[in-house]
Amino acid sequence: MQTKFSLFLALLGLSMSLTSSAQGAPQSGGDFSNNPEARKLPTGVLLVKGAWWSASDSVTPLPEGGRMDKNVYSNQYFGLTYPLSPDWTEKFSGPPPSDSGYYVLAQIRPAETFKGNTRGSILIAAQDLFFTLAPATNSLELVNYSKDSLSADYKVEQPPTLVRIADHSFVRFDYSAPVAELHWHVLATQIRCHLIQFVFISRDSKLLESLIEGMKKMNLPDEAGPISGSGGGEVPVCIGDYASGENVLERVNPVFAERRFNAVPVRIIIDREGKVRHTHFLSAFPDQAKAISDALAQWRFRPYLRDGRPVEVETGIMFGRALPTATPRSTNAAAE
Amino acid sequence: MKTVKLVSLLAFLVALFLPGTALAQTDPGVQGGNRGSGAALKFVQNDDNGNNPGLNAFFQDGLKRFQDVESVSNSATGNNGLGPRFNSNQCSSCHAQPAVGGTGAAMNPQFSFAGSSVAPKDTTPFFITANGPTREARFPFFFDQFGNADPNNPNGGVEDLFTVSGRPDAGSCVLVQPSFSAARAANNIIFRIPTPVFGAGLIENLDDSTLQINRAHNLNNNFGIGGDFNHSGNDGTITRFGWKAQNKSLHIFAGEAYNVEMGVSNLLFTQDRPLPGEDGNGGTGGTGLPASCLNLTRTGYPEDNSNPGQTSAPLVLDDVSAFANFMRFLAPPPPGSVVLNGVAVSATSIANGQRLFSAIGCATCHNPTPGTTQVSNNTPTTSGVGSLSLNPVNAFSDIEIHHMGTVLADNVSQGGAGGDQFRTAPLWGLGQRIFLLHDGRCTNLLCAIEAHRSNGGEATNVEAIFDQNLSSSQQQDILNFLRSL
Repeated sequence: MQTKFSLFLALLGLSMSLTSSAQGAPQSGGDFSNNPEARKLPTGVLLVKGAWWSASDSVTPLPEGGRMDKNVYSNQYFGLTYPLSPDWTEKFSGPPPSDSGYYVLAQIRPAETFKGNTRGSILIAAQDLFFTLAPATNSLELVNYSKDSLSADYKVEQPPTLVRIADHSFVRFDYSAPVAELHWHVLATQIRCHLIQFVFISRDSKLLESLIEGMKKMNLPDEAGPISGSGGGEVPVCIGDYASGENVLERVNPVFAERRFNAVPVRIIIDREGKVRHTHFLSAFPDQAKAISDALAQWRFRPYLRDGRPVEVETGIMFGRALPTATPRSTNAAAE
Repeated sequence: MKTVKLVSLLAFLVALFLPGTALAQTDPGVQGGNRGSGAALKFVQNDDNGNNPGLNAFFQDGLKRFQDVESVSNSATGNNGLGPRFNSNQCSSCHAQPAVGGTGAAMNPQFSFAGSSVAPKDTTPFFITANGPTREARFPFFFDQFGNADPNNPNGGVEDLFTVSGRPDAGSCVLVQPSFSAARAANNIIFRIPTPVFGAGLIENLDDSTLQINRAHNLNNNFGIGGDFNHSGNDGTITRFGWKAQNKSLHIFAGEAYNVEMGVSNLLFTQDRPLPGEDGNGGTGGTGLPASCLNLTRTGYPEDNSNPGQTSAPLVLDDVSAFANFMRFLAPPPPGSVVLNGVAVSATSIANGQRLFSAIGCATCHNPTPGTTQVSNNTPTTSGVGSLSLNPVNAFSDIEIHHMGTVLADNVSQGGAGGDQFRTAPLWGLGQRIFLLHDGRCTNLLCAIEAHRSNGGEATNVEAIFDQNLSSSQQQDILNFLRSL
């Protein structure tokens, strides 16, 4: 009798505990939390990224490494400093580099202290010529492609023209959107196989001209130029498609743990002995970057000689899915 | 003379103290009336494909099933399989505005579920209100054993709002709702509202090459806009449905929604779905749904299946196929006239707004027409508008995913889309949408436009042009145009 009663009590207790665990607050974990003082995650912070930029070291300058500081935009990779007036500032950072090699380097707009009646904006952007989808091999061709691709919303005010500002060559291209009464003045040059564009937008042509006048304070490498601009000083020689054919003495393919289908543009710097000393992923998932880095560490290149001496080379390799190139749109009705 | 002076003084004072009132642009708001959204493609309506029954019979059958109310078991209409976890019991309860196949309605049906026969033992989550957006919820990160959200353990799966606990047709199944309030306290909850599916068949029938060529053209812009595609993990082709373009086809879209949102297992997703952590994801140690909550229909899995015993061709199909046909044959939402403060907006304003929309860069992502569909074997003998074949897709979307920055980021990755990347939302039908953006946080176009301005976002420059370089009347033209879509 006592045994049966004890068994009954045990079963009763078991069923009560099962019921309470199904209906009461569950233990913390997974989809549940019973912690009334749980830590708060930060707001306004991107914690889960998709394919993103990364580099093998934090010392070698990157194209996206420029910044605004006390009204001066400076970018060590391009050797560029661009002082602006105090009432222009960068309020919002740009997106990460795209997998077609497009960078938003800075987005500058009037500060609260700006006194002018009309506003404008300055977009500093770069297009990596190794990865551009446009059929262009230098900045002048790329700007001309832009002109040819303009939709009927726009009117060409000044076709791409070579100009000089403070002893530097740029290609200048002006167009407007009559319906919006907006003007775009684009000044472009080429540094280290990148098209660098300074895009000035406003309704006020005088404001735009004053901003362009302000470009005279800009410092650029002497070697910058819209047709065959390169970097200055001891920067590596940039050569497209160097990682191909007889230049590659040893090659190891990356082994990916997971098959993805995104394009992975990679810039590498090859040292004088033909080894990869720096890797820059414009857009890659972490596992892709790891697999490619491990593979590239085993590649060997033929050293590039200039004046008989081996020099460092910077080049681009596209892993993953290749992107289709664009063809010029049919000519629009925009007047020139 | 004194009257003239007084009027002038009053006008001066109004201009001095109330300039915003005099010049403020206004979202015309949700446009009423029947624009014809929710109808089938003309080709389908006319049933002209030489078969019997024709496509219209499949559309109508899918439309009917889209409106079926699901039970767990013992349904008088045979619509069983709901739960054990769900967000709603009827597709059209969420996809309702302005017609079946749309987005969330003004009155949220989810608000009446808890404590009713639908979810008798549940409580209403804090983010479900009577007049708020119909929503699903996700936790970007799993909770750890201390109840803290672990930023090193991403989650992002749907946390179903309701359970079948206490329903007479759910047997002894008893489940607990996810910890929504704790997630709010930890800043670990995000929301999604239903996407409208008008015109979905056209989007489905765009060839990848068409989208790639469109992308290549749009990349050459001076607005700071990049963009990419999400890809199927199975075959690498471009995916296109859902807020992050994570789904490849309407079949998968329907099958996933039937399983995740309503708990109905089907031919594409053949098991009942636990919560993300309930089955051990995130290292929780969970072992799935309790046995008492499985096979509640007592007829085995999947709960939705084809019906070979039926004699009518549409009725042979399983529900998911019927849903897919319904969505596939839905016509795009027609544009319409706009009324602002009781006054009809001029066609000139709308036309001007469309030109401005394009000129300032909005159309770089919200392409008016990303391309023309390929030939569809559903409508091979007819092409152009009203058909699925060779029809321009005026969706106002490039179907790409773009970085929208920290303002809109939800820290949920889906396929190749990271935590701040979203598909360019198709804007066709915008004129009759109530809740805007992926989580329904806005009910006003100006709010939605402002959310495009963000650290790390591709749209910041374009938003700045709208905000700072356009006159109030130009901004109003754009708002009028958007509500005409």
